[in-house]
Amino acid sequence: MRKSFLALVTMFGLLFLSLFYWQICADIQDHPANPRYYQMFKEDRGVIYDRRGVPLAASTSDGTIFARNYAAPSLCHVVGYFHQRYGMTGLERRYHEDLSQGRSLITTLDLDVQKVAEQALAGKQGAVVVVKPTSGEVLALVSSPGVDGNALDANWSNYLGDERSPFLNRATHGLYPPGSVVKPIVYGAALGEGLVERNQIWHDHGSMVLENRTISNYGGKAHGSITTDQALAVSSNVVFAQLAMSLGDRLIEEFRRFGFGMDVGFDLQNLGGYLPAKITSAYDAAQLGIGQGELLVTPLQMASVVSTIANGGVLMRPFVVQEVRGGLKMRQITRPQSISQVLPGSQARDVQEAMVLAAREGTAQTSLPLSLDYGGKTGTAQTGSGADHAWFIGFAPTERPQVAVAVLVEQGGSGSQVAVPIGVTVMDAALRVDE
Amino acid sequence: MIRILYRTWFEFAGWLFCLTWWLIWLQGQICWWQPMVLWVAFMVLFLLTRQLRFNGGAIPFVAILVLIGWVFLARLNASWATLQFWGALVACVAYVLGLWIGTRRFPYPLMWAGAALGLLAATALFGQSAGGAQAWLTLFGVRFQPVELARIFLVFYLAHYFTEERPRWELLVILSAFFLILAWQRDLGPALLVFFVFCWMSLHWKFTWPKLFGYIVATACGFIFAYLWFPHLRSRALAWLWPWDYLDSKGYQVLQGLFALRSGGVVGQGLGAGFAQVIPNVHTDYLFAVIGEEFGFLGTFSLLMVYLSLAFWALRLLHAVQDKLLQMLGLGLTLLLHVQVFLVVGGVLRLVPFTGMTLPLVSYGSTSLVAQLAMLGMLVGLGGKRGEE
Repeated sequence: MRKSFLALVTMFGLLFLSLFYWQICADIQDHPANPRYYQMFKEDRGVIYDRRGVPLAASTSDGTIFARNYAAPSLCHVVGYFHQRYGMTGLERRYHEDLSQGRSLITTLDLDVQKVAEQALAGKQGAVVVVKPTSGEVLALVSSPGVDGNALDANWSNYLGDERSPFLNRATHGLYPPGSVVKPIVYGAALGEGLVERNQIWHDHGSMVLENRTISNYGGKAHGSITTDQALAVSSNVVFAQLAMSLGDRLIEEFRRFGFGMDVGFDLQNLGGYLPAKITSAYDAAQLGIGQGELLVTPLQMASVVSTIANGGVLMRPFVVQEVRGGLKMRQITRPQSISQVLPGSQARDVQEAMVLAAREGTAQTSLPLSLDYGGKTGTAQTGSGADHAWFIGFAPTERPQVAVAVLVEQGGSGSQVAVPIGVTVMDAALRVDE
Repeated sequence: MIRILYRTWFEFAGWLFCLTWWLIWLQGQICWWQPMVLWVAFMVLFLLTRQLRFNGGAIPFVAILVLIGWVFLARLNASWATLQFWGALVACVAYVLGLWIGTRRFPYPLMWAGAALGLLAATALFGQSAGGAQAWLTLFGVRFQPVELARIFLVFYLAHYFTEERPRWELLVILSAFFLILAWQRDLGPALLVFFVFCWMSLHWKFTWPKLFGYIVATACGFIFAYLWFPHLRSRALAWLWPWDYLDSKGYQVLQGLFALRSGGVVGQGLGAGFAQVIPNVHTDYLFAVIGEEFGFLGTFSLLMVYLSLAFWALRLLHAVQDKLLQMLGLGLTLLLHVQVFLVVGGVLRLVPFTGMTLPLVSYGSTSLVAQLAMLGMLVGLGGKRGEE
């Protein structure tokens, strides 16, 4: 009997082991042959709302399956899409568990701002990120071109063949040299270290020679005798190269504190870009100070930078989902979260004023007939091949900023001509709907 | 010991009560009195067995299995549950009959072997087919699967064969006739089961390594032979080895079973919340997958533990039996049940090829239920009364 007993126990032991594997370990749930996967398309799904309660994504039934409708095509890069054949992305994916149980999401997005940004970028390749500086709430996030979540079936093969990569979220995953939009950071760091006075006079001859290589201003323009504020306003490479050289490795430390080279902790997956670990030569430092060289950033990171400056130097974690709500009493609220005081308040205000000067009489001026009081900084980043990338970062209004924006247009040319109008239009719209 | 059994018994009744109300809530037309009647029936069996001074310790386990089976059948389709209910009542009578037979010594081995072969031959000649195998016989208006009884009769013969050292040619003739008829009916699950039980009994009677090795080789040869000669087995084998290559055809049932089990996870989706009704023949072949999806790993683990407890009970009972013939017989009956559990659950889990048998005492199937309870009755009967040797 003992041998039979042992044989029986072995037999059942085998069953227990494979049962454990197939019920708990095996990775087969998402297999396309599993009808449970399609079951979720036959059930209603939670709604995704904007900050005002306007539905951004909602399900409608045709009797057998529920299809998802999106309020704007540009939502594909933030809300994402949910489709029986093409799977799910964005918040639809990140919050699938909640949504599939009928819970709804309340985002920080503003559909009006999102639509304005979408129109402003139409036909271009680039990204716009709009943030509320005091809280880190993302009001709009657009990457162009995108895919239309309402018409995936009709256009899928076109999207796949599109050389402009409509699936790439340029706001979170596009890596670009920042160019002159890093100058406010350099300025803040130099002020903080006491290396420069705001009304100190500089002599700008349009170019300078460093280690047998030349650093020149945009278009080689000589600005003559200017204060440091004016140097920022006219985006003088000559002045900022010198500031960066005197900062040295402290500049890298400052960039890191602003979140360069790391994940900013956003709700959606995002890249950290590239920040060199060390400065090896004076020329490297100068290049870094004007945003060229090895440094790579995402538009989301730049939005975070300008929002920090506008928020008196306090870096807020950017977020887009402010509440998950479901059932009778279930509410899960995300509170604004400050990460650190990156820049002392007084220096942040100094930089703000210099940026306002740039908007009033420098490169960040606009010819648009808007009565908007804003501060900003442009960038025209050299790409090594093809046309330059156009950048703009800005905030408005100048007193107690309520909105901050980062605009990038791939190979758009001059920041002043291409990126500024987009940024100003979007900020104007954001302030208007806020009233 | 008895006190513990009683406690389990009453706790289980409470459990059952909750499950039944849950079912009524799920689908209104459920016959809620059926499990109550079954519970009373098993209680009566338990008391009767004890009154007659037999060992009734297995009855709570059996009752749990039958009632869980009923609950899941009711969850799938109330009419299956009703048929199972009547089958279970008949099975209770069969248990008493088995108890009576079990106290005799099952003489006349050739008569039993003849009965087994006769039943099978009759099925082969006059049977009706359903589900790929010709396995049904209608007698006096009752449709049943003779193979369920035939294999019990064959175990009677096997017990005599070992203990009386009967001639080997006789065994060979009877076993090959048995397998050939089953093969002709294309019902190879019971053939495999009987072959394994035979091997096990033989090894139990006298264990040698060459014998074990010989049986392993014979099993392998049998598989290769079956693969080459039976097309419908070939597709079963392919579905077993490479189900992912035959998602929509041969491998469909196996894969749907695995998806159901995986979706159950640790605690399960909850009764009625699963999606296992898409599995073909779910009420007979794949009820285990439904239980796995809705009660999770904890549920299937507990279910298998109940079977294992039943096996421990049987082995303990047989340990005390002095008569070699009765001991071999009891072992054969125990193995018929537990090897079948292994083949069915192992088939669902892809440990062995799926053979299309029912999960004993749980799955839908009146003949099988009646045969299993009769077997249990015999086991209790041959275990003898307390205080008499």
